[in-house]
Amino acid sequence: MDAFGLANYALFILVLVGIYGLMALGLNVQWGLGGLFNAGIAGFFAIGAYASAILTSPALPGRVGGFELPVAAGWVGAMALAALLAWPIGRVCLRLRSDYLAIATIGVAEIIRLAVRSEDWLTGGVRGISGIPRPFGELPYFASQLAYLALVAAAVLLAYVLVERQLRSPWGRMMRAIRDNEAAAAAMGKHVESRRLEAFVLGSALMGLAGALFVHFNRSITPEAIDPMIVTFLVWIMLILGGSGNNRGALLGALVIWLIWSLSELLTDRLPTEIAIQAKYARMFLIGLALQLVLRFRPEGILPEERRTHGRDQDDS
Amino acid sequence: MDAYEFINFHLVPGLLLGSIYAIGAIGVTLVFGILRFAHLAHGDLITLGAFLALGAVTLGGLDPWLALPVAMALAAAVAVGIDASCYAYLRERPRILTVMASLGVALMVRSVVQMGWGTDPTTYTTGILRPDEYFGFILLRDRELATFAAVIVLVAALEAFLRLTRWGRAMRAMSDNPDLARLCGVDNRQVVRLTWIIVGMLCAAAGFLLGINTEVWAMMGWWVLLPVFAAAILGGVGRIDGAVLGGLVIGLAEELSVLVLPAQYKSATAFVILLLVLLFRPRGILKGKVL
Amino acid sequence: MTRKHFIGAALAAAMTLPAAAQEAKIGLLFGISGGISAMAPTMVEAAQLAVEQVNAQGGIGNGGKLVAALGDSGCNPQAATDAATKAVNIDRVLAIVGPSCSGSVLAAANSVTVPAGVPLVSPSSTSPQVTRLADKDLVFRTVPSDAYQGAALARTLIERDTRSVAVTYLANDYGTGLAESFRAEYEAQGGTITGFQQHDGSKASYRSELSRLARGGADTLVIFDYGDGSGLTILRQSLENGFFRQFVGGDGMKSEAMIRAIGAANLDTLLVSSPVGSGSESLAIFQRDFRAKGGNPDGIFATTSYDAAFLLALAIEHAGGDRAKLSASLRAVAGAPGEAIRPGEWARAKKLIAEGRDIDYQGAAGDHAFDEAGDVPGAYALFRVAGEDFEAVAQMR
Repeated sequence: MDAFGLANYALFILVLVGIYGLMALGLNVQWGLGGLFNAGIAGFFAIGAYASAILTSPALPGRVGGFELPVAAGWVGAMALAALLAWPIGRVCLRLRSDYLAIATIGVAEIIRLAVRSEDWLTGGVRGISGIPRPFGELPYFASQLAYLALVAAAVLLAYVLVERQLRSPWGRMMRAIRDNEAAAAAMGKHVESRRLEAFVLGSALMGLAGALFVHFNRSITPEAIDPMIVTFLVWIMLILGGSGNNRGALLGALVIWLIWSLSELLTDRLPTEIAIQAKYARMFLIGLALQLVLRFRPEGILPEERRTHGRDQDDS
Repeated sequence: MDAYEFINFHLVPGLLLGSIYAIGAIGVTLVFGILRFAHLAHGDLITLGAFLALGAVTLGGLDPWLALPVAMALAAAVAVGIDASCYAYLRERPRILTVMASLGVALMVRSVVQMGWGTDPTTYTTGILRPDEYFGFILLRDRELATFAAVIVLVAALEAFLRLTRWGRAMRAMSDNPDLARLCGVDNRQVVRLTWIIVGMLCAAAGFLLGINTEVWAMMGWWVLLPVFAAAILGGVGRIDGAVLGGLVIGLAEELSVLVLPAQYKSATAFVILLLVLLFRPRGILKGKVL
Repeated sequence: MTRKHFIGAALAAAMTLPAAAQEAKIGLLFGISGGISAMAPTMVEAAQLAVEQVNAQGGIGNGGKLVAALGDSGCNPQAATDAATKAVNIDRVLAIVGPSCSGSVLAAANSVTVPAGVPLVSPSSTSPQVTRLADKDLVFRTVPSDAYQGAALARTLIERDTRSVAVTYLANDYGTGLAESFRAEYEAQGGTITGFQQHDGSKASYRSELSRLARGGADTLVIFDYGDGSGLTILRQSLENGFFRQFVGGDGMKSEAMIRAIGAANLDTLLVSSPVGSGSESLAIFQRDFRAKGGNPDGIFATTSYDAAFLLALAIEHAGGDRAKLSASLRAVAGAPGEAIRPGEWARAKKLIAEGRDIDYQGAAGDHAFDEAGDVPGAYALFRVAGEDFEAVAQMR
């Protein structure tokens, strides 16, 4: 145990917090602002991850690719493709309300996951794609992580400023009006459908960017990375616990949940080695318990939405 | 392919799987209808139910089918306890919080199952069971007939309860219009408790039926969660008949999909059908409610 | 709860970990949670057996203890990189056994262990992608890349005059890799594949897939899956419906859970391949020792997990605890020339190393002569069910 090791561990955690924080921000645009129950986060994460991987990785026989574009092009491509695919998906799915929308988006994400796993010619199938370049990857361990963290932090900051501006703009006010009382907003002549679609596309683009940041950090991607449990549900927990409707809450939620997730293992490691395996199962219990405790004591989220207008008259599940 | 193959290796397995999905989907739709949230711990409660039955078989030495009522009773108690400790205090909050709480419960239940029973797949009885032939061309095993019978009995009993008893009518009233039901003097707390008793029992039944037809292991419930949810939504939220119909459609779709699609896309069929149906009927086949 | 409190708690939790004095730490990262969780406990116990043997026979260096830090790498890159980062930075391990799945190995190696200069020996990742890693000679495997086993199984079947088979395989890198290498070799040798199908591992019924495969007309079904996962369901449903008469599996199908569930009497038509050393003596020693400890030596990847941990212990002893020399030492203790060391012979190996003599570890899962990429060639035998256990029928080439 030394400071250097701790610093490396902290850098790693912050990189992943940044990546998940981007997704939580994206979800905040969709749910916190737009009231859209998107349960297909993993799908857009996957689109971004694979788009950037294909654009930047070297060629491999039997698979589309070998473009070896700069990493920046991969990231832009990831956002663009996620947005491009979110548009038709949103067109179809956003007509559905609440839970119907949730299951439809889960369905889309599952279909994407199965396609990624099965279509070898595009995604490398079950073996995934490796050999993806990592910016500053040639630096030593600590410096390389620090440099990557700077990139991730820049992306998160940019996204935060962008989303925050949107939120305070007339567009954001309109979104909240639609979320809180759709009938009234529509009666006032707001284009409810297109505003919703815009929120859906913007949020999905951020999720795609998170996917791209994730693959370049690991220099590889396999279909296990886009499991709904480890992406979709985790991001939902982050947003809800952090404070739905509050961008800083979304980022803070990502940090808190990742810390709970990662540090719980250090806690269960204190148990006797004879029950080392059981201790790992107990870790899941601890994570679930921590979730219950936060919900009990901070049900409105750690940083609740700042109420700029009068309260919501409905809640949406 | 001939009719023999179609009936025995696609239709019957599809119906069998579908009727098990249906039992799971009824539980999901009851929680949706009465408590108005997506219960993500449903899959892991199904797992727990299967393991409670296993416990009754291995510890109590019971015949598997006699272990079923024991498991149902235990799971009902567990479900009521989970509601009281993890969901009750969120009742007046936005429902998304209860959804998140149920995700936490799912992790906790799975953890308990893994600590208690480990991760190896096991079975209620060792060995394999070859089918008998009926009418000269339908192959069925005793356990499959018993599964169909159990599903029919459970659905019929539930329908009778909801239609004929006072408490059943109170539950339906709560599902249709909670404010009105409360005004008419329906005891909200009792209805919620009753709902969880029924949901717990249905979870145990679904888990047991899944386990006796395949294997019992820690991930079994989590892996049927999405098809079960698809079934509940497909039929229309809050509708028992919709859940049964949805379950059968999803089960059949999965087994029949292999005829036209590569097998690795089997899980996708449930969702393709779901999306197509929702495109034309945004509230499910039987017009469920919008929450 | 504020950010400061959380970081404070994190630091406090990390700081109070026991300080390393006179001990050599290795990380054991296994997919304890997640998709392949069923096989993790046996792998962990097998690796822990190696650690116990080392400590019971004199430990590392001058009486130091070998300490294992167990981590849960799940079966996804998120959990694997998190566990690897903790192992490398918090536990300060010298080397790592694991992670379990290939996707986990790729991510953990790329973003943690290779940059940090920590050698990693995976007992269970079979993907050829791992061979191609730019790993600065820090990534090794005790499990052969799936190319070897699939091809060996194909040749063996042809030798046994099974010239027509159907294949079903799990939709992950393990199943797919075996199936593809099997198909290439089997068809090259003149065999006919009447059906070749990937299946999802999370389903309760496979009857429709199996009936479609059976329509091809072959008597034999080759299953590349895990016997404590969906492979069990597939085998059961094939047997119950009479789709096929003979069954052949890879090492994943060599599972005791399967014998318990289906019953040995029903499994007389099953043959499975599994890695073994050139002599089966090493395997027998490991089986005896592991069984005495209450472990299940037929568990999938039990032998490779044990070998990975034992090899790393030998390398640490050989390198004098110097992490920079570990890779070279790993190659030195694993390969010829040298005095043969069998599983559990720690005291003898320690003495030979102290005398400066070469050793050559011949493990339970093979001889582990690492090639340039850190891969091992496979040596396999064919097994059948006998009693409540498996017995070798023939060597495979």
